[in-house]
Amino acid sequence: MNRFKIFRNLVVPVISFSALIGLWELIILWGHVQGYLAPTPLAAWEAISSNWSTLWPLTSWTIKETVWGFGAGAVIGILFGVLMSKLRFLQRSLYPVLVVTQAVPIVAIASPLVLLMGFNLGPKVVIVAWIVFFPVTVNVLDGLNHVDHDLITLARVLGARPWRTFFLIEVPATITPLFSGLKIGATYAVTGAVIGEMAASSGQSLALYQHTQIGQLNSAGVYGTTILMTAIGMSWFLLMITLEHLCTPWLRRSVARRWSRGARTLDNTYVVKGAK
Amino acid sequence: MRVPNSELLTLVDVTKRFGTTQALSPTSLSIERGSFVSIVGPSGCGKSTLFNILSGLLLPDGGEVAVGGKSVVGSTGHAGYMLQKDLLVPWRTVLGNITLGAALTGRVTEEDRRQATSFATRYGLGDFLRHYPGSLSGGMRQRVALMRTLALNTELLLLDEPFGALDAQTRFEMQQWLLSVWRDSQRTVLFITHDVDEAVFLSDRVLVMSPRPGRIVDDVEVAITRPRTLATLTETDFTTIKARILRQLHRDAESLS
Ligand SMILES: Nc1ncnc2c1ncn2[C@@H]1O[C@H](COP(=O)(O)OP(=O)(O)OP(=O)(O)O)[C@@H](O)[C@H]1O
Ligand SMILES: [Mg+2]
Repeated sequence: MNRFKIFRNLVVPVISFSALIGLWELIILWGHVQGYLAPTPLAAWEAISSNWSTLWPLTSWTIKETVWGFGAGAVIGILFGVLMSKLRFLQRSLYPVLVVTQAVPIVAIASPLVLLMGFNLGPKVVIVAWIVFFPVTVNVLDGLNHVDHDLITLARVLGARPWRTFFLIEVPATITPLFSGLKIGATYAVTGAVIGEMAASSGQSLALYQHTQIGQLNSAGVYGTTILMTAIGMSWFLLMITLEHLCTPWLRRSVARRWSRGARTLDNTYVVKGAK
Repeated sequence: MRVPNSELLTLVDVTKRFGTTQALSPTSLSIERGSFVSIVGPSGCGKSTLFNILSGLLLPDGGEVAVGGKSVVGSTGHAGYMLQKDLLVPWRTVLGNITLGAALTGRVTEEDRRQATSFATRYGLGDFLRHYPGSLSGGMRQRVALMRTLALNTELLLLDEPFGALDAQTRFEMQQWLLSVWRDSQRTVLFITHDVDEAVFLSDRVLVMSPRPGRIVDDVEVAITRPRTLATLTETDFTTIKARILRQLHRDAESLS
């Protein structure tokens, strides 16, 4: 990556993010906003760091819900997408049903889930998965349905077996849409987890903690909790972007990395021998 | 008289229609082992359709196609077919693209990689093995697509306008290169082009097709010694053959109006 790209991709977001926090601080200070209405960023930060020993177990619990729910949602989403693209009748029959699942208000799913699964991890994971799978399915299905038809023909010309065509042509062609779905899912995952916590909390959770802070008119605690939730979502999103970059080197590089499989054997043997 | 087993490819009364379009009227043809045969004809006359049938991508409505005496109607894998577009797979390196055939049918062995590497090295892409296609020039992409076709190790090669999109300079280099590949590897080449000069320059034989319904209207022997050079293009033998082919094409164009 050259200097300009580093600047554009890293420095610019950091600047705009800092500007946002600065603006927040200024509004509170110049607007003489009372502390119980809204805290300064610094106060919110202190509410997190001074209560870290209480907050960390809650946060890690939310992370757990997000990770499991996201994982399940992604797997189910990919499965649905692939199956529907391969079996037309499934696409016609299942797709409308999947759309209906998304029309059901998520809060209204939470209570039935609690009845079914109790107050543990279960309902939260289901809710997160419920939200995450849909954009993944839609994008994977779209991606698979729009693989360059000439490449499929090429594979046939080369005498390909069907499942080879799938893994060597269709899957790589669908990586970008897949990650579009995963990125949307990543931003919604925490929302799902928090909704689950609100509706089905067993004593301790970030959502419940925030609720008690409201009761105590501790605005710094309320905002601090929101920041923590946001941070989980953002980290997850950044993780997806990183994964996407790692999975699609050909979009940014002109030469494959040395450690890619075929290239390594080459370096050791033929290229060295064949060099002029 | 041709010895029967010197024929690699035989077509008998092969026809194809798309809806109401007769793309190919009954076509019979035989191609000798080791020869270089070009097919010229106006756009839409059924050249690609013919190749699609020969490669097994498309089922003919009637007729018989045999390679090495065996019927190959509707089966793929007996011919190396380079489609009209270069169609490199963007996520595979040059090496990965050359060995794509092996990857799709079985396993890419060390031997496949060795062969791909030696092709690339011999034909000027040795330093680009780890490059992705996105960073290659048009000529390089065509060469990779051609090497991928060669790497299938089929005796029969079907090349559909492989140099159509190239500038004159690159095109001439590529023609030289293809001839050297053909000489080195003892393949049988069927070559589609719009360019009569190119057809005559490269071939032992040129087939001229008429506009729809497509059929072969002339079969021209090119008895010019090899290797051919730039000077060949202005020899009388060359220009006589070229004039004959152009007249055929032109007559068909006139009969259209
Ligand atoms: N899959 C198809 N469905 C319907 N019609 C087709 C199909 N493929 C080809 N045709 C028609 O058959 C005719 C011959 O097409 P073909 O692609 O073989 O022409 P061509 O000689 O290769 O032309 P060009 O030189 O432009 O590549 C054309 O009229 C075309 O419209
Ligand atoms: Mg064509």
